[in-house]
Amino acid sequence: MSSNSLLFSINNEGKVYALPTSGSCWREFMYLGLEFKTLSAIPHFLWAVGGDRQIYLHVHGLEIPIRVKEESYENERWLPLEGFSGRLLPTDRYHFSSLDGTKDRSIDRIRLPSMAWQWEGDWQLELTLDGQPLDHDGWSYAVDFPAQFGPTKQWKSCVRRRKWIRYRKFSAMNSWCAIAPLHKDPTQEPFIDVSIGGNQMPYASPGTLSVWAITAHGRVMYRTGVSTTSPEGQKWINISTPPNCDIKQISVGPTGLVWALLWTGRVIIRKGITKDTLTGEAWLEVKSPNDAKLVSISIGYNAAWAVSSDTRVWFRKGIEGINAGNSEVAATGTGWLEITGNMVQVSVGINDQVFAIGESDKCIYWRSGITPAELTGKRWRMIQANMQLSRTSSSASVVSSASNVKHHSLTTLSETTTEKKSNINLHHSWEESHSAPSEHTLPVKSTRESRSKANKTTENIDFTGKSYETTLKNPRAWSPVRSVGSVVGMEAQPDSDSSVFDVDSGMFFDDEVSQTAWGTCDTTWAFVQAGACSVDIMQPPHWFSDSHNVYNTDITTKWRISILENLKNRNNNKDLNLEHYGLAVEEKGWTRSCEARLINTNNSGEECILSLYWHDLENIGTLSVFQPDGTIKFILNLGEVTSVFSLSEPGCPRIALCVPRQNESSIKIQFISEMEQEEWLSVLVDITSQINGVTGRASSNSVWAVTSSGDVLNWDSLPSKLNNGAYTKEFQVFGKSIVTGFSTHLNNNFPPGSTIMLTGSLFDEIRRFYINLQGPEVKKQRHKIETEITDIPFHFNVRFDENAVVCNSMIFGSWGSEERHDLPIAPGQEFSIKIICDVQVFRIFVNDKLYCLYEHRLNPENITSIVVQGPLKLYTMEYSTTSVIIGADEMYWRMMGGYLRRVESCQNGVVWGISHDHRVWVYTGGWGGGILKGLGSKDGIHSMTDTQTYCIYENQRWNPLSGYTSTGLPTDRYMWSDITGKHKRTREHTKLLSHHWHWISEWMIDYNTPGGVDSDGWQYATDFPAPYHGKKLFTDCVRRRRWYRKAQINTEGPWVRAGSTALIDIALWSNGEDVSVWAITLAGDAIYRTGVTTATPTGLQWEHVNSPVSLIAVSTCNDVVWAVGRKGEIYYREDVSKEKPGGSNWRLIKAPKCNYPYSHKSIGAKGVSLNQRSAWVLLANSCIAVRSHVKKEQLDGKEWKYMTDCDMTFKHVSCMENDVWAVCADGSLQRRLGVTAENQVGSSWQRVLFGAIAHVSSRGSSME
Amino acid sequence: MANDREVLREIWDGKLPICFQLAQEEIMEIQQPDPFYVMVPRLSYFPLVTDKMKRHFLRFISQENSDSEMWLDYNGQPLKWHYPIGFLYDLYCGNDSQLPWNLTVHFTKFPEDILLHCPNKDVVEAHYMSTVKEADVLKHRGQVMSTMQKKDHNQLWLGLQNDKFDQFWAINRRLMESHGDNEGFKHIPVKMYSDDGICHQRLVIPKNSDGTRKTLQQMILELYPDKPDLNLRTHGIVIPPETPLQWLSEHLSYPDNFLHLCLC
Repeated sequence: MSSNSLLFSINNEGKVYALPTSGSCWREFMYLGLEFKTLSAIPHFLWAVGGDRQIYLHVHGLEIPIRVKEESYENERWLPLEGFSGRLLPTDRYHFSSLDGTKDRSIDRIRLPSMAWQWEGDWQLELTLDGQPLDHDGWSYAVDFPAQFGPTKQWKSCVRRRKWIRYRKFSAMNSWCAIAPLHKDPTQEPFIDVSIGGNQMPYASPGTLSVWAITAHGRVMYRTGVSTTSPEGQKWINISTPPNCDIKQISVGPTGLVWALLWTGRVIIRKGITKDTLTGEAWLEVKSPNDAKLVSISIGYNAAWAVSSDTRVWFRKGIEGINAGNSEVAATGTGWLEITGNMVQVSVGINDQVFAIGESDKCIYWRSGITPAELTGKRWRMIQANMQLSRTSSSASVVSSASNVKHHSLTTLSETTTEKKSNINLHHSWEESHSAPSEHTLPVKSTRESRSKANKTTENIDFTGKSYETTLKNPRAWSPVRSVGSVVGMEAQPDSDSSVFDVDSGMFFDDEVSQTAWGTCDTTWAFVQAGACSVDIMQPPHWFSDSHNVYNTDITTKWRISILENLKNRNNNKDLNLEHYGLAVEEKGWTRSCEARLINTNNSGEECILSLYWHDLENIGTLSVFQPDGTIKFILNLGEVTSVFSLSEPGCPRIALCVPRQNESSIKIQFISEMEQEEWLSVLVDITSQINGVTGRASSNSVWAVTSSGDVLNWDSLPSKLNNGAYTKEFQVFGKSIVTGFSTHLNNNFPPGSTIMLTGSLFDEIRRFYINLQGPEVKKQRHKIETEITDIPFHFNVRFDENAVVCNSMIFGSWGSEERHDLPIAPGQEFSIKIICDVQVFRIFVNDKLYCLYEHRLNPENITSIVVQGPLKLYTMEYSTTSVIIGADEMYWRMMGGYLRRVESCQNGVVWGISHDHRVWVYTGGWGGGILKGLGSKDGIHSMTDTQTYCIYENQRWNPLSGYTSTGLPTDRYMWSDITGKHKRTREHTKLLSHHWHWISEWMIDYNTPGGVDSDGWQYATDFPAPYHGKKLFTDCVRRRRWYRKAQINTEGPWVRAGSTALIDIALWSNGEDVSVWAITLAGDAIYRTGVTTATPTGLQWEHVNSPVSLIAVSTCNDVVWAVGRKGEIYYREDVSKEKPGGSNWRLIKAPKCNYPYSHKSIGAKGVSLNQRSAWVLLANSCIAVRSHVKKEQLDGKEWKYMTDCDMTFKHVSCMENDVWAVCADGSLQRRLGVTAENQVGSSWQRVLFGAIAHVSSRGSSME
Repeated sequence: MANDREVLREIWDGKLPICFQLAQEEIMEIQQPDPFYVMVPRLSYFPLVTDKMKRHFLRFISQENSDSEMWLDYNGQPLKWHYPIGFLYDLYCGNDSQLPWNLTVHFTKFPEDILLHCPNKDVVEAHYMSTVKEADVLKHRGQVMSTMQKKDHNQLWLGLQNDKFDQFWAINRRLMESHGDNEGFKHIPVKMYSDDGICHQRLVIPKNSDGTRKTLQQMILELYPDKPDLNLRTHGIVIPPETPLQWLSEHLSYPDNFLHLCLC
């Protein structure tokens, strides 16, 4: 549910109210002393016609400001005498130009588009080029202009350029902003209607919006240049209408489709509105329903609704939003259907949901049951939400402020403000943020700009986008009407007012607190606008009283108490001894079985029968897999299963079971139906969680992972047995063959304080046996790649043939000097050997007597495994260390519920997630939801949605006769394929993953494919695996275009939305109760969140941090913040502290080198994770480099270190304290062993989970 | 909606101590069999809970009878297995409750004219499911049952059979929802029994004509105008007359979705 989803309405007093879908109370929209006639809204953008018949714009709910980066390149040419100079050749580009040199971009002529914008700082030089630092003047050099620029000046460099950048910010956020009138005298041609739409225009570039308006003269005006980055657009242009068409109302649908209603009750529509012709081509008339005169229309995506003068409601069937621009029928629909109910006005919102105002009661109704399949819905439901007791609805205050509508002088403003402060207690604190505006809140102009303005005469006021200069002549007397795109009245405080509409802290989300100030008062509504209202029809908002529960009152009734009392006393017969009564229905184990297929590694299936047995009292369970003839294939002890998650492919509902003790890879099972798969998954997760004793909330220090199918897994490091301050683990050694050698991992290595204890008996025939405490395997590249152990810190070799015990160490593959001792044991005897690691020495006990000491020659922390080999039997092997020992085969990964792309945690238990559509979620502490049903309780389980895009490529080859056709060469790729061309994909056969997914769009051509496209979406190349470009060249023989279709999943999980800003990366670091949260937005900006604590995990709001380049990744720890730029460069943030969470500047960090042998090329980064003393950086070549000694005093660290023990490639890395986890390119989850303060790189990787992992966060790990 | 979990749980957990004794004429051994004491869920049916008891007595009876169908009587009154156990107790011992409930076990002389045969548990399931369906027809014109899948039906039955409250209520909850705009069922599935075990079933609407909730008292007045001080017993308790019928149906129905009320 989008937290910005609001239903707007105007009451009969002309006041605007908003009802959030997440709340149940109408709240009055900020009152300006100005009534509103009509509204039109899409999420975040609200256009309105005021009581003064002028148009106003309100931008709200955006958590980060609208910022536009202005760029200008300063070009210079080397002249023989003067050196580099701004005098260029006549054929050259402008002195200040755009990137390609075609446009003049003199920086003194780049001005703010309107008073609604403010500059952020002055013009600055960009001092990096592709991540490479430039000199102080920021020049980059080239031979001639259209050439590759480089950072260094060479003898042949004839031209140079540098880039100036300056940001401007839309400062009129969260306040009404007047749009300039058409004429100098605003009363000359006032407006009567305005409508915004076009936010889902097919194929259009993101951010496109379309605004149409009607003037009192009946002229139709289109606002050019409106987009999400330019909310107020540029200017009005007139769209001519057919003669005798006096337009009364206009409605723009989300696809940009325009319908206009005439005073005569007829409807005309604008045909041919596409992404290229936003204003359309011509008007068409649509026949009104028989003998009905329409008075209100509203356009949705696939629907149009209307109300006629006799209050009947009409639905227009046959409208297809996606084709509306190309097909007349799709735009006009095919016929009217009468809908029951009597309404006076109707408004279509997101997903074609319909709201209307009733004829008799003037209440707002929602049409329930509207789905894409059934656009007419089922019935009208009245919205009965509580109402804010209006502070301005008394007629007195209306009069007092209404007189000032057009001229809010500064003095009257302060008066009205104090007047309002008097009843602040009743209402919300957001008034407090209003103080009288003072002069300096007006955009401050640099002297240079005002000079240029003085020179410039006022332009034609009709093209109002640039005419704000007029107001500068007398800034004190500015009027909201005259000042184009300016801020009206007291709301001219963009900075202090941000809380008003902040989705998390502001007025819309504290219903409980303020219930007292609300009442149900009967309001009669005049107008409803649903364009920004997104109703989840599965979970309608709590607006309707016709479903409220009457039984809550029954709890305390006499009869109910009496019934309960009597029920409880039924068997309370004193002389009845129930002890010897058996239970009729015993708690016995239960079984469940079904037919399924076992999926082999080569993806082929094998019929099998699954049978699950589970005994909940004894807490044991088995999963037996039978062959169809009933013979047992294998039986799994469910206690050994470390993870269960879904691994479905379209049409193949599968689950994966990880059983590391039995199987190297995971066991994949395919079920006959999705239902069956979900049931088994839920049951298996439930049982394995019970066996492992984990339930409910994930603990703070647990590790989170996300699988490639979006499941969220969690591992809780429950402490194992604790003995005398040490953690002990017994290895299963009995019956293992020692003769050929037995080795096992020592998960915590062997630091001082560790002990290993062996008991066993020797064979009668024995010459030698040894115990090795050895280091990790190291890859060696000789004639072929092989691994070997090069370091053995302790070798204990008992040689009966030499009558001695030899102790030694191997360092870099060569043995040191031997230390020999007498034999302590004889063949055929039982023995016990105990090795204790002290700071200086190993102490070896044989048969409980101190036998010898062995001084460390290598750091014992590098010991990762133990090997015993010789003719003997082992009874027990016990390993204890000072910290918790958990092997990979004991980590139970519990599915937590929800559908996400990545999850980031921190040490105090605050966990954030990002979904595939870049929305942000916060963990609520629950468990279950979705296909897991309510595993724990329903607490904290919320509905979730996520959107993913399916892409396929259409490929064509050119042949001389017929041009481009879909017949390729026999060697070519499929004509419909995936991006690699290796797999055939067709639009018709693209299936959704499960029934929780549904399509939310049709197949559409992607006009934003990287590399550029032509007007039909094609991109060309010389041959298939070649770089594609958007312009057809002579040499091109093949072309392709990308089709995409969006699908949405509806599920549930223990997650709740936080904020509405789309993010690509996020980093959390906990500092006691507080959490510092840094994130990277979809646009590549860095932001940080204020007010995140364990009590308020969603925090308050995002604060924006300026960054010179767009970023892709961020990490933070200990007030150190690192970020990665789009080109792979790494930055750190200066001066970050608790008092100054945003820091001051980004500084470049020396790039790491490619760690391929003998290469010293520096290489970019893809991701970063910081812990207390180092930074783990994922490089562009998918290797990992570690920057050591990163600390507060040395924010950029000391040196780069590279991993020498492996050539694995990685997708992601996450670290905290000594815990480092990474996801391998093949999807396996790895944990780094041996990371210590001294050895920051660690010693080796240990595989924890096999396959299908996409993301991991160990940021919650903690030593305590 | 049935949302008073405390009451639901109490109803579900209701158990009867029963003492089974083998009928004297069945005993073929010199040694007298011990009585079999067991706690039986009130909501269950005898064929579902008597397996162990049957095994206990089998070795005391003659071999030729070991395959014949077992039946129970209380004070010479054969007990119909297709009624919930708790209801049978309320019917026969409701007025003078004596615990444990002493029942006699027979393997011969099956009273063909009184009891239905019950060869296996599938018969119980079939009977149970048809009763649930009947109740749903009364409540929702059968719409809920018909939209459920086979596995839901299965879960309902297994929940009852294995005494799993959550498993059962996960499905039964849907049967206890009221549909449409007006709160409440179409009709209340209710069966009323007089002392002699004769069942009366009437169409009962949960609301009065003025839209208020109909209480038990109001229903009694409607159905038995001559006996206004009638008491109704179910689950071992007498229901307060002011209890609303809708609530009663949602919370105090047996798993077959019927209210089984004994007049007393």
